[in-house]
Amino acid sequence: MRRWLRWDMLPLPFNLVSRHLVVSSLPSLPPAPLPSRREAHLWYIVPNELEDASLLQDYRELLSPCEKENVLSIKGEALKKCAILSRVLVRTTLSRYTDCKVNPRLFKFRKNRFGKPEVEHQNGGLWVPPSLQFNISHTSSMIACGVTVDVPIGIDIEEKRRKPVNNLLSLAHRYFSPYEVQYLASFMDPESRQSEFLRLWTLKEAYVKALGRGFSGAPFRDFTIRFKKSTDSVVPERPKSEEFRIMIDTASDSENLTANWQFALVELSGSHLAAICMEKDENMPGTEQEFLKLKVWKTLPFVEDKCMSETDAVINISGLS
Amino acid sequence: MMHVSLIYVMQTNGVTSGVKFVTIGTSKLSFPSLRSSRFRVHCAAKPETVNKVIDIVKKQLALSDDTSLTPESKFSSLGADSLDTVEIVMCLEEEFDISVDEDNSQNITTVQEAADLIEKLVLQKAEAA
Repeated sequence: MRRWLRWDMLPLPFNLVSRHLVVSSLPSLPPAPLPSRREAHLWYIVPNELEDASLLQDYRELLSPCEKENVLSIKGEALKKCAILSRVLVRTTLSRYTDCKVNPRLFKFRKNRFGKPEVEHQNGGLWVPPSLQFNISHTSSMIACGVTVDVPIGIDIEEKRRKPVNNLLSLAHRYFSPYEVQYLASFMDPESRQSEFLRLWTLKEAYVKALGRGFSGAPFRDFTIRFKKSTDSVVPERPKSEEFRIMIDTASDSENLTANWQFALVELSGSHLAAICMEKDENMPGTEQEFLKLKVWKTLPFVEDKCMSETDAVINISGLS
Repeated sequence: MMHVSLIYVMQTNGVTSGVKFVTIGTSKLSFPSLRSSRFRVHCAAKPETVNKVIDIVKKQLALSDDTSLTPESKFSSLGADSLDTVEIVMCLEEEFDISVDEDNSQNITTVQEAADLIEKLVLQKAEAA
Protein backbone atom coordinates (compact mmCIF):
# COMPACT_ATOMS: atom_id res chain seq x y z
CA MET A 1 0.00 0.00 0.00
CA ARG A 2 1.55 3.25 -1.06
CA ARG A 3 1.27 5.49 1.94
CA TRP A 4 1.27 8.67 -0.09
CA LEU A 5 -1.55 7.70 -2.41
CA ARG A 6 -4.74 9.46 -1.41
CA TRP A 7 -7.41 9.52 -4.05
CA ASP A 8 -9.03 12.64 -2.60
CA MET A 9 -5.81 14.49 -3.33
CA LEU A 10 -5.83 13.68 -7.03
CA PRO A 11 -5.90 16.76 -9.18
CA LEU A 12 -8.07 16.82 -12.26
CA PRO A 13 -7.03 19.78 -14.36
CA PHE A 14 -10.11 19.83 -16.57
CA ASN A 15 -8.72 22.30 -19.03
CA LEU A 16 -6.10 19.77 -19.98
CA VAL A 17 -8.08 16.52 -20.10
CA SER A 18 -8.96 17.02 -23.72
CA ARG A 19 -5.30 17.18 -24.68
CA HIS A 20 -3.72 14.61 -22.43
CA LEU A 21 -4.74 11.80 -20.20
CA VAL A 22 -3.63 13.45 -17.02
CA VAL A 23 -5.04 11.23 -14.33
CA SER A 24 -1.98 10.00 -12.54
CA SER A 25 -1.40 7.70 -9.62
CA LEU A 26 0.70 10.39 -7.96
CA PRO A 27 -0.85 12.92 -5.58
CA SER A 28 -0.47 16.69 -5.78
CA LEU A 29 2.71 18.47 -4.95
CA PRO A 30 2.52 21.19 -2.34
CA PRO A 31 2.78 24.55 -4.12
CA ALA A 32 5.73 26.81 -3.34
CA PRO A 33 5.73 30.63 -3.22
CA LEU A 34 7.89 32.20 -5.91
CA PRO A 35 11.39 33.32 -4.97
CA SER A 36 11.56 37.07 -4.41
CA ARG A 37 13.62 39.29 -6.66
CA ARG A 38 17.01 38.66 -5.08
CA GLU A 39 16.36 35.17 -3.88
CA ALA A 40 17.38 31.76 -5.14
CA HIS A 41 15.65 28.53 -4.19
CA LEU A 42 17.52 25.25 -4.17
CA TRP A 43 15.84 21.84 -4.16
CA TYR A 44 17.86 18.67 -3.82
CA ILE A 45 17.31 14.90 -3.96
CA VAL A 46 19.53 12.24 -2.40
CA PRO A 47 19.16 9.26 -4.79
CA ASN A 48 20.09 6.70 -2.14
CA GLU A 49 17.01 7.62 -0.16
CA LEU A 50 14.75 6.35 -2.92
CA GLU A 51 14.35 2.62 -2.42
CA ASP A 52 10.82 2.11 -3.68
CA ALA A 53 11.03 0.63 -7.18
CA SER A 54 7.39 1.36 -7.91
CA LEU A 55 7.88 5.02 -7.02
CA LEU A 56 10.79 5.16 -9.45
CA GLN A 57 8.49 3.68 -12.07
CA ASP A 58 5.89 6.36 -11.37
CA TYR A 59 8.62 9.01 -11.63
CA ARG A 60 9.63 7.61 -14.99
CA GLU A 61 6.08 8.17 -16.25
CA LEU A 62 6.48 11.91 -15.73
CA LEU A 63 9.24 12.08 -18.34
CA SER A 64 8.78 13.09 -21.95
CA PRO A 65 9.25 10.41 -24.67
CA CYS A 66 12.63 11.94 -25.49
CA GLU A 67 13.76 11.86 -21.88
CA LYS A 68 12.57 8.25 -21.54
CA GLU A 69 14.61 7.29 -24.59
CA ASN A 70 17.65 8.95 -23.11
CA VAL A 71 17.21 6.95 -19.90
CA LEU A 72 16.99 3.75 -21.96
CA SER A 73 20.31 4.57 -23.61
CA ILE A 74 22.05 4.78 -20.24
CA LYS A 75 23.70 1.63 -18.98
CA GLY A 76 23.65 0.76 -15.30
CA GLU A 77 20.78 0.98 -12.83
CA ALA A 78 22.33 3.66 -10.64
CA LEU A 79 22.96 5.97 -13.58
CA LYS A 80 19.47 5.33 -14.99
CA LYS A 81 17.99 6.21 -11.61
CA CYS A 82 19.97 9.46 -11.48
CA ALA A 83 18.85 10.39 -14.96
CA ILE A 84 15.20 9.83 -14.06
CA LEU A 85 15.51 11.72 -10.78
CA SER A 86 17.24 14.60 -12.50
CA ARG A 87 14.31 15.14 -14.87
CA VAL A 88 11.76 14.52 -12.14
CA LEU A 89 13.43 17.11 -9.94
CA VAL A 90 13.28 19.79 -12.63
CA ARG A 91 9.69 19.02 -13.59
CA THR A 92 8.28 18.74 -10.09
CA THR A 93 10.18 21.80 -8.86
CA LEU A 94 8.86 23.97 -11.68
CA SER A 95 5.36 22.62 -11.15
CA ARG A 96 5.42 23.80 -7.54
CA TYR A 97 5.95 27.38 -8.70
CA THR A 98 2.88 27.30 -10.91
CA ASP A 99 0.75 26.76 -7.83
CA CYS A 100 0.72 23.17 -9.07
CA LYS A 101 -1.64 24.15 -11.85
CA VAL A 102 0.79 22.71 -14.39
CA ASN A 103 1.35 18.97 -14.17
CA PRO A 104 5.07 18.14 -14.04
CA ARG A 105 4.88 16.01 -17.17
CA LEU A 106 3.55 18.88 -19.24
CA PHE A 107 6.60 21.12 -19.20
CA LYS A 108 8.47 21.45 -22.44
CA PHE A 109 12.09 22.43 -22.61
CA ARG A 110 14.35 23.83 -25.25
CA LYS A 111 17.97 24.84 -25.39
CA ASN A 112 19.16 28.36 -26.01
CA ARG A 113 21.52 28.77 -28.93
CA PHE A 114 24.48 27.85 -26.74
CA GLY A 115 22.83 24.72 -25.38
CA LYS A 116 21.55 25.96 -22.00
CA PRO A 117 18.24 24.27 -21.16
CA GLU A 118 15.27 26.55 -20.47
CA VAL A 119 11.51 26.28 -20.06
CA GLU A 120 9.63 26.65 -23.30
CA HIS A 121 6.68 28.87 -22.60
CA GLN A 122 3.74 27.45 -24.46
CA ASN A 123 0.81 29.23 -25.95
CA GLY A 124 -2.75 28.37 -25.08
CA GLY A 125 -3.93 26.71 -21.93
CA LEU A 126 -0.91 26.24 -19.74
CA TRP A 127 -0.12 28.82 -17.12
CA VAL A 128 3.55 29.31 -16.39
CA PRO A 129 4.63 32.30 -14.34
CA PRO A 130 6.87 34.73 -16.19
CA SER A 131 10.49 33.79 -16.53
CA LEU A 132 11.14 30.89 -14.20
CA GLN A 133 14.85 30.37 -14.50
CA PHE A 134 16.42 27.12 -13.43
CA ASN A 135 19.68 25.22 -13.50
CA ILE A 136 20.51 21.66 -12.49
CA SER A 137 23.63 19.99 -11.27
CA HIS A 138 24.27 16.46 -10.12
CA THR A 139 26.77 14.10 -8.63
CA SER A 140 26.15 10.39 -8.14
CA SER A 141 24.96 11.07 -4.61
CA MET A 142 22.92 14.27 -4.98
CA ILE A 143 20.90 16.08 -7.60
CA ALA A 144 20.11 19.77 -7.17
CA CYS A 145 17.95 22.31 -8.95
CA GLY A 146 18.23 26.05 -8.46
CA VAL A 147 15.31 28.36 -9.30
CA THR A 148 14.90 32.11 -9.59
CA VAL A 149 12.37 34.43 -11.15
CA ASP A 150 13.73 36.52 -14.01
CA VAL A 151 17.35 36.31 -12.95
CA PRO A 152 19.80 33.99 -14.74
CA ILE A 153 21.16 31.39 -12.37
CA GLY A 154 23.87 28.76 -12.50
CA ILE A 155 24.60 26.13 -9.86
CA ASP A 156 27.20 23.46 -9.44
CA ILE A 157 27.52 20.80 -6.77
CA GLU A 158 30.41 18.52 -6.02
CA GLU A 159 31.12 15.92 -3.36
CA LYS A 160 33.36 17.53 -0.77
CA ARG A 161 35.64 14.50 -0.80
CA ARG A 162 36.00 14.33 -4.55
CA LYS A 163 39.56 13.75 -5.55
CA PRO A 164 40.37 14.50 -9.18
CA VAL A 165 42.25 11.67 -10.88
CA ASN A 166 44.88 14.02 -12.25
CA ASN A 167 47.34 16.26 -10.48
CA LEU A 168 45.53 19.40 -9.28
CA LEU A 169 48.17 21.86 -10.37
CA SER A 170 48.34 20.24 -13.81
CA LEU A 171 44.59 20.65 -14.10
CA ALA A 172 44.84 24.22 -12.90
CA HIS A 173 47.67 25.04 -15.32
CA ARG A 174 45.64 23.63 -18.16
CA TYR A 175 42.30 25.22 -17.33
CA PHE A 176 42.49 27.99 -14.75
CA SER A 177 43.71 31.58 -14.94
CA PRO A 178 47.29 32.38 -13.88
CA TYR A 179 46.08 34.10 -10.70
CA GLU A 180 44.10 31.01 -9.69
CA VAL A 181 47.07 28.73 -10.39
CA GLN A 182 49.22 30.84 -8.10
CA TYR A 183 46.52 30.85 -5.46
CA LEU A 184 46.27 27.04 -5.51
CA ALA A 185 50.03 26.59 -5.54
CA SER A 186 50.20 28.62 -2.33
CA PHE A 187 48.53 25.75 -0.45
CA MET A 188 51.11 23.17 0.53
CA ASP A 189 48.82 20.82 2.39
CA PRO A 190 47.23 18.44 -0.18
CA GLU A 191 43.86 18.45 1.56
CA SER A 192 43.63 22.22 1.65
CA ARG A 193 44.71 22.42 -1.96
CA GLN A 194 42.06 19.89 -2.93
CA SER A 195 39.41 21.79 -1.01
CA GLU A 196 40.37 25.10 -2.65
CA PHE A 197 40.48 23.46 -6.07
CA LEU A 198 36.91 22.22 -5.65
CA ARG A 199 35.76 25.63 -4.43
CA LEU A 200 37.24 27.31 -7.49
CA TRP A 201 35.92 24.59 -9.78
CA THR A 202 32.32 24.75 -8.56
CA LEU A 203 32.27 28.56 -8.61
CA LYS A 204 33.68 28.70 -12.13
CA GLU A 205 31.21 26.07 -13.31
CA ALA A 206 28.32 27.94 -11.71
CA TYR A 207 29.36 31.15 -13.49
CA VAL A 208 29.66 29.49 -16.90
CA LYS A 209 26.29 27.81 -16.43
CA ALA A 210 24.67 31.06 -15.29
CA LEU A 211 26.09 32.85 -18.32
CA GLY A 212 24.56 30.12 -20.46
CA ARG A 213 27.15 30.33 -23.19
CA GLY A 214 28.65 26.88 -22.76
CA PHE A 215 32.19 25.91 -21.93
CA SER A 216 33.62 27.39 -25.12
CA GLY A 217 31.69 30.65 -24.70
CA ALA A 218 33.35 31.28 -21.38
CA PRO A 219 36.73 29.53 -21.29
CA PHE A 220 37.81 28.97 -17.73
CA ARG A 221 41.14 30.68 -18.16
CA ASP A 222 39.51 33.91 -19.35
CA PHE A 223 38.08 34.83 -15.96
CA THR A 224 39.34 34.73 -12.40
CA ILE A 225 37.52 33.85 -9.22
CA ARG A 226 39.20 35.18 -6.14
CA PHE A 227 38.45 35.35 -2.49
CA LYS A 228 38.66 38.76 -0.92
CA LYS A 229 39.04 38.97 2.80
CA SER A 230 36.30 41.05 4.36
CA THR A 231 37.98 44.04 5.88
CA ASP A 232 34.66 45.74 6.62
CA SER A 233 33.90 46.49 10.23
CA VAL A 234 32.59 43.43 11.95
CA VAL A 235 28.83 43.35 12.38
CA PRO A 236 27.92 41.25 15.42
CA GLU A 237 24.94 39.52 13.79
CA ARG A 238 26.94 38.32 10.83
CA PRO A 239 28.00 34.68 11.09
CA LYS A 240 31.69 34.13 11.61
CA SER A 241 31.98 32.10 8.44
CA GLU A 242 31.67 35.15 6.26
CA GLU A 243 35.33 35.95 6.35
CA PHE A 244 35.75 36.40 2.64
CA ARG A 245 33.83 37.51 -0.37
CA ILE A 246 33.80 35.85 -3.75
CA MET A 247 34.85 38.17 -6.55
CA ILE A 248 35.10 37.71 -10.28
CA ASP A 249 37.49 39.45 -12.65
CA THR A 250 37.11 39.32 -16.39
CA ALA A 251 39.30 40.79 -19.11
CA SER A 252 38.11 44.31 -19.90
CA ASP A 253 37.99 43.60 -23.62
CA SER A 254 35.77 40.58 -23.22
CA GLU A 255 32.24 41.46 -24.26
CA ASN A 256 30.79 38.07 -23.46
CA LEU A 257 32.25 37.67 -20.02
CA THR A 258 30.39 40.05 -17.80
CA ALA A 259 31.28 40.69 -14.19
CA ASN A 260 27.94 41.73 -12.71
CA TRP A 261 27.35 38.42 -11.03
CA GLN A 262 27.17 37.48 -7.38
CA PHE A 263 28.18 34.21 -5.83
CA ALA A 264 27.46 32.07 -2.83
CA LEU A 265 29.21 28.94 -1.65
CA VAL A 266 27.57 26.57 0.81
CA GLU A 267 28.16 23.19 2.30
CA LEU A 268 25.11 20.95 1.83
CA SER A 269 24.23 18.03 4.01
CA GLY A 270 27.77 17.79 5.34
CA SER A 271 28.81 16.06 2.15
CA HIS A 272 28.59 18.45 -0.75
CA LEU A 273 29.84 21.80 -1.88
CA ALA A 274 27.27 23.93 -3.74
CA ALA A 275 28.11 27.08 -5.69
CA ILE A 276 25.35 29.44 -6.76
CA CYS A 277 25.78 32.27 -9.23
CA MET A 278 23.10 34.89 -9.94
CA GLU A 279 23.12 37.98 -12.09
CA LYS A 280 23.13 41.24 -10.20
CA ASP A 281 20.35 43.73 -10.64
CA GLU A 282 21.85 46.85 -12.19
CA ASN A 283 18.99 48.92 -10.80
CA MET A 284 19.68 48.00 -7.23
CA PRO A 285 22.27 49.82 -5.13
CA GLY A 286 25.51 47.89 -4.79
CA THR A 287 25.45 47.48 -1.03
CA GLU A 288 22.13 45.66 -1.06
CA GLN A 289 23.50 43.04 -3.39
CA GLU A 290 26.45 41.93 -1.35
CA PHE A 291 24.65 38.87 -0.16
CA LEU A 292 22.41 36.38 -1.84
CA LYS A 293 19.23 35.10 -0.20
CA LEU A 294 18.91 31.35 -0.43
CA LYS A 295 16.21 28.91 0.66
CA VAL A 296 16.94 25.19 0.52
CA TRP A 297 14.66 22.16 0.51
CA LYS A 298 15.47 18.49 0.47
CA THR A 299 12.83 16.54 -1.40
CA LEU A 300 11.59 13.15 -2.42
CA PRO A 301 8.83 14.42 -4.72
CA PHE A 302 5.29 13.39 -3.72
CA VAL A 303 6.64 11.81 -0.56
CA GLU A 304 8.38 14.38 1.57
CA ASP A 305 9.74 17.93 1.40
CA LYS A 306 11.93 19.29 4.16
CA CYS A 307 13.03 22.88 4.47
CA MET A 308 16.73 22.79 5.28
CA SER A 309 17.51 26.50 5.50
CA GLU A 310 18.56 27.55 8.99
CA THR A 311 19.62 23.97 9.77
CA ASP A 312 23.03 22.31 9.94
CA ALA A 313 22.40 20.89 6.51
CA VAL A 314 23.13 24.27 4.94
CA ILE A 315 26.34 25.91 6.07
CA ASN A 316 27.26 29.24 4.57
CA ILE A 317 30.88 29.39 3.43
CA SER A 318 30.52 32.73 1.72
CA GLY A 319 27.98 34.96 0.08
CA LEU A 320 24.72 34.28 1.88
CA SER A 321 22.83 36.85 3.85
CA MET B 1 40.03 7.53 -61.00
CA MET B 2 37.25 6.19 -63.11
CA HIS B 3 37.07 7.45 -66.62
CA VAL B 4 33.86 7.91 -68.47
CA SER B 5 33.68 8.84 -72.09
CA LEU B 6 30.77 10.74 -73.49
CA ILE B 7 30.02 11.43 -77.04
CA TYR B 8 28.15 14.59 -77.85
CA VAL B 9 26.49 14.64 -81.19
CA MET B 10 25.49 18.03 -82.43
CA GLN B 11 22.60 18.06 -84.78
CA THR B 12 20.84 20.75 -86.66
CA ASN B 13 17.66 19.88 -88.35
CA GLY B 14 18.42 16.20 -87.93
CA VAL B 15 21.74 16.48 -89.67
CA THR B 16 24.82 15.69 -87.67
CA SER B 17 27.15 18.60 -87.86
CA GLY B 18 29.74 17.63 -85.36
CA VAL B 19 30.91 15.05 -82.87
CA LYS B 20 32.70 15.73 -79.67
CA PHE B 21 34.43 13.26 -77.43
CA VAL B 22 34.56 14.21 -73.80
CA THR B 23 36.32 12.33 -71.10
CA ILE B 24 35.19 12.85 -67.56
CA GLY B 25 37.00 11.59 -64.52
CA THR B 26 35.11 11.02 -61.34
CA SER B 27 36.56 11.60 -57.92
CA LYS B 28 34.92 8.53 -56.44
CA LEU B 29 37.49 6.28 -54.93
CA SER B 30 37.64 2.91 -56.57
CA PHE B 31 41.07 1.93 -55.33
CA PRO B 32 41.86 2.01 -51.65
CA SER B 33 45.48 2.92 -52.30
CA LEU B 34 44.48 6.25 -53.78
CA ARG B 35 43.82 8.07 -50.53
CA SER B 36 44.54 11.72 -50.31
CA SER B 37 44.85 13.49 -47.00
CA ARG B 38 41.63 15.33 -47.77
CA PHE B 39 39.70 12.09 -47.46
CA ARG B 40 41.52 10.80 -44.40
CA VAL B 41 39.91 13.47 -42.24
CA HIS B 42 36.49 12.07 -42.97
CA CYS B 43 37.31 8.45 -42.27
CA ALA B 44 36.66 6.90 -38.89
CA ALA B 45 39.59 6.77 -36.49
CA LYS B 46 41.86 3.73 -36.27
CA PRO B 47 40.85 1.04 -33.79
CA GLU B 48 44.07 1.63 -31.81
CA THR B 49 43.06 5.23 -31.22
CA VAL B 50 39.55 4.24 -30.19
CA ASN B 51 40.96 1.66 -27.78
CA LYS B 52 43.31 4.17 -26.18
CA VAL B 53 40.39 6.56 -25.67
CA ILE B 54 38.39 3.74 -24.07
CA ASP B 55 41.29 2.94 -21.71
CA ILE B 56 41.59 6.55 -20.61
CA VAL B 57 37.85 6.93 -20.11
CA LYS B 58 37.66 3.71 -18.09
CA LYS B 59 40.48 4.89 -15.86
CA GLN B 60 39.00 8.36 -15.37
CA LEU B 61 35.53 7.10 -14.54
CA ALA B 62 36.88 4.17 -12.50
CA LEU B 63 34.87 1.71 -14.57
CA SER B 64 35.54 -1.97 -14.02
CA ASP B 65 37.54 -3.85 -16.66
CA ASP B 66 34.56 -5.84 -17.77
CA THR B 67 32.46 -2.72 -18.45
CA SER B 68 31.91 -2.77 -22.16
CA LEU B 69 32.60 0.52 -23.92
CA THR B 70 31.95 0.93 -27.61
CA PRO B 71 32.84 3.75 -29.97
CA GLU B 72 29.23 4.87 -29.70
CA SER B 73 29.33 5.13 -25.89
CA LYS B 74 28.28 8.60 -24.79
CA PHE B 75 30.32 10.19 -22.01
CA SER B 76 27.24 11.57 -20.31
CA SER B 77 25.61 8.12 -20.34
CA LEU B 78 28.64 6.75 -18.56
CA GLY B 79 28.12 9.19 -15.72
CA ALA B 80 30.90 11.59 -16.72
CA ASP B 81 30.33 15.09 -15.41
CA SER B 82 32.11 18.24 -16.54
CA LEU B 83 35.12 17.69 -14.29
CA ASP B 84 35.49 14.15 -15.63
CA THR B 85 35.28 15.46 -19.17
CA VAL B 86 38.02 18.04 -18.74
CA GLU B 87 40.20 15.44 -17.04
CA ILE B 88 39.62 13.05 -19.93
CA VAL B 89 40.47 15.78 -22.44
CA MET B 90 43.66 16.62 -20.56
CA CYS B 91 44.70 12.94 -20.48
CA LEU B 92 44.04 12.61 -24.20
CA GLU B 93 46.13 15.71 -24.87
CA GLU B 94 49.03 14.25 -22.91
CA GLU B 95 48.71 10.79 -24.44
CA PHE B 96 48.62 12.03 -28.04
CA ASP B 97 50.64 15.23 -27.60
CA ILE B 98 47.92 17.46 -29.00
CA SER B 99 46.03 20.54 -27.91
CA VAL B 100 42.25 20.55 -27.82
CA ASP B 101 40.60 23.96 -27.75
CA GLU B 102 37.35 24.66 -25.93
CA ASP B 103 35.25 24.73 -29.11
CA ASN B 104 36.35 21.23 -30.00
CA SER B 105 36.15 19.77 -26.53
CA GLN B 106 32.55 20.87 -26.20
CA ASN B 107 31.61 18.84 -29.28
CA ILE B 108 33.06 15.58 -28.07
CA THR B 109 30.17 13.55 -26.76
CA THR B 110 31.14 9.97 -27.67
CA VAL B 111 34.26 7.82 -27.72
CA GLN B 112 34.21 7.83 -31.51
CA GLU B 113 34.04 11.62 -31.70
CA ALA B 114 36.98 11.90 -29.33
CA ALA B 115 39.03 9.44 -31.40
CA ASP B 116 38.15 11.20 -34.67
CA LEU B 117 39.13 14.58 -33.26
CA ILE B 118 42.40 13.19 -31.93
CA GLU B 119 43.39 11.81 -35.32
CA LYS B 120 42.45 15.05 -37.01
CA LEU B 121 44.59 17.05 -34.59
CA VAL B 122 47.51 14.60 -34.83
CA LEU B 123 47.37 14.89 -38.61
CA GLN B 124 47.16 18.69 -38.54
CA LYS B 125 50.16 18.77 -36.26
CA ALA B 126 52.14 16.47 -38.56
CA GLU B 127 51.23 18.52 -41.61
CA ALA B 128 52.19 21.74 -39.90
CA ALA B 129 55.59 20.38 -38.89
